[in-house]
Amino acid sequence: MLDRITVSPAPHISKAHSTRSIMLDVIIALVPAMVMAVVYFRMQAVMITAACVIACVATEWVCNVIRRKGQSIDDLSAVVTGVILAFSLPPAVPVWLAALGGVFAIAIGKMVFGGLGSNTFNPAMVGRAFLTASFGMLMTTWTVPATIDPAMPAISPANTEAITQATPLGWSKDAIKGKADPQIANRQLSAAATGQVGGCLGETSALALIVGGVYLLVKRTISFHIPAAVLISAAVFAGLGFMFKPEAYMSPVMHLASGSLLFCAFFIATDPVTAPLPAKGMWLFGAGVGALVMLIRMVGEYPEGVMFAILLMNAATPLIDRFCKLVPIGGKANA
Amino acid sequence: MIEIKGTMSFAGGVHPQENKRFTEQRPIELFTVGKQVAILLGQHIGAICKPVVAKKEAVTAGQVIGRAEAFVSAPVHSSVNGVVKDITLQSHPVLGRAMAVIIETDAAADNVKRPCPQRFGADFDASAWDPVRIREAIQEAGVVGMGGAGFPTRVKLEPNPQMPKDVIIINGCECEPFITCDYRVMTEWTHQVLAGVQLAARAAECSNVKIAIEDNKPEAIKIMHKAVRECREAKNIEVVPVRTKYPQGGERQLIKAVWKKDVPVGGIPPMIGVVVLNVATCAAIAEAVVCGNPLTHRVATVSGSSIARPGNYYVPIGTPVADLIDYCGGLDEKIAKVILGGPMMGFAIADLSTPITKTGGAVTLLTKEEITRAKYDRRETPCIRCGRCLQVCPAGINPTRIAHAVKHGMLDVADQYHMNACIECGCCSYICPANIELTGYIKTGKILVARAKKRMPQ
Repeated sequence: MLDRITVSPAPHISKAHSTRSIMLDVIIALVPAMVMAVVYFRMQAVMITAACVIACVATEWVCNVIRRKGQSIDDLSAVVTGVILAFSLPPAVPVWLAALGGVFAIAIGKMVFGGLGSNTFNPAMVGRAFLTASFGMLMTTWTVPATIDPAMPAISPANTEAITQATPLGWSKDAIKGKADPQIANRQLSAAATGQVGGCLGETSALALIVGGVYLLVKRTISFHIPAAVLISAAVFAGLGFMFKPEAYMSPVMHLASGSLLFCAFFIATDPVTAPLPAKGMWLFGAGVGALVMLIRMVGEYPEGVMFAILLMNAATPLIDRFCKLVPIGGKANA
Repeated sequence: MIEIKGTMSFAGGVHPQENKRFTEQRPIELFTVGKQVAILLGQHIGAICKPVVAKKEAVTAGQVIGRAEAFVSAPVHSSVNGVVKDITLQSHPVLGRAMAVIIETDAAADNVKRPCPQRFGADFDASAWDPVRIREAIQEAGVVGMGGAGFPTRVKLEPNPQMPKDVIIINGCECEPFITCDYRVMTEWTHQVLAGVQLAARAAECSNVKIAIEDNKPEAIKIMHKAVRECREAKNIEVVPVRTKYPQGGERQLIKAVWKKDVPVGGIPPMIGVVVLNVATCAAIAEAVVCGNPLTHRVATVSGSSIARPGNYYVPIGTPVADLIDYCGGLDEKIAKVILGGPMMGFAIADLSTPITKTGGAVTLLTKEEITRAKYDRRETPCIRCGRCLQVCPAGINPTRIAHAVKHGMLDVADQYHMNACIECGCCSYICPANIELTGYIKTGKILVARAKKRMPQ
């Protein structure tokens, strides 16, 4: 009778969730952005996302076989990496390029470090950085959403200026260099909200990303610290630029709504593995990401800075963790 | 009328399913003692008792069988009439194995002890008792903290001119899921508890008393409040509802919630002028002082979704868990874990002859399904550094960092991350999505450090 009684350390009950359920929540939160991507970029969105996800999962499977470890693909983390990578790619990239990015993201970004939980850098951003460095041309060609047909009358007044090829951030860069008026970019706000602008596959629609982000916050899959820190810090720096030099810099609202910033705040920077553990560290990390993004956007050469901001702050995460060592309640800090 | 909703609490904590419904409406029942009892000689923090009876010696209920020889200790008494069968090692819920006096009960004698709550009423006046005499009576009766830690109550109440006591907090939180024994004691033995509270306040020379009850027990809050109002001598006693959150009943967490002060790490509540007493301890104090009865019985909850007769029983200390389970309908085949205590901090036992102690207020029986939710068949996956353990940790430490340091044998790193501040409440393991036994690792680390220190030359 006693052979079926088990003994283990307390506690004997636990919350009914797992790494898998957390990853599943992230995937669910990405669905609105996926829907918008399919609306705007049609089959191309499906193909690229599928290529990335399949490449990621297959690579993880192969790596596990090589490492002679148990399979870990059922934790769905490779799927999340795949989707995030796909959403951060330009819609016009060839499918093989997307797949290559997925392979690199998982193999070099995650598995060489020892798999989930051990990697220093966000795998999806590692994959994207590899593609950006190796295929610069393909990675900066932006197609216009399928719903914006240049032959058709403008869908919204914002489109009358007919930014056909450049993204709002590209326009912003031109404005900083004095080649364009930032007001044109500013008028893209409603288009950026729904996603009818040029940009990466899953990042164009600000509203879809916010819906997903709110879902994650409400389900407590992510804590509010990092998204809040990223957005506040970015808004502050964009606000300063706009306040002192509105003729060169885009408005902060437009900065937040365009490019990868929202996607970054809710889905990329919140990758738990590569972000700090303590709440204070999360604030620092998020503030650093936001500041670096704006630094690159407003001063640097690239129109968008999310990828580099994330990778740089990922590198700083161990330091931040050490810096924000917790002091126990009723205890003293160690010297 | 008293406001039921509690706002006071602490930072961190979790909300496990309460599961009190199985037993909260079941009145305290008498329990018929079995063939034998095993009374452990170490049921408290401090020096283990020395047996003062010999094999084959006849003992009566209430007789001292283990004497305390240090200041921080408490005597143990026989809970039955019978004959000492042996003095030997016995499974101990916390220590593994420890010395115990095994007593074979005398079938002919009346071995049913009845509680005496009817002897206490609203007219109780503690001023009739001398504080020194109260403390002596508490010590002679072997009263120790019945909430879990088992610290000798007399030592707690001893006035110390260096550390005057500002407040006595009575712990009626009972934050562990399933357990309802303190709830029943509060609602059925209300005046006895209150008498104990008044006696304790007199013994500790501190008149400021707060009775803290979690707001998921509105009945207990109302009844206690009413009794305090009726009692003329209880002017300085206040019933305070606190938020329902695990581990609200943890000593440090309760002090934080009610008194807004932090107990220093490695320190004890008297350092900041606080004494915390469990409600069952208060009932035992009242019985010890007024009736002169030693602590030989306690109310224990036997609960679980798969047991035929869950309930709250007045059990002789030393009763084997197996007797209790048999009395409640036996082990269902679905039951996969027998826990002495609650599911968050209790000890899973494999040997059902393990006896009930002064501190163990519950036997919880969990089915495979209840523990499979995360801990049974599912494997430990890598830490994804989600930080949930940090967010729920009521001690404010970094459980994952400490646990992984222990896992890799880096005890110095674990120490640097304040392993000694851990209160072992289990919140981190409860919340961990990767099924890592964080609390288990930290407990192991503490034991390893303690052992290493012992080996060090002086």
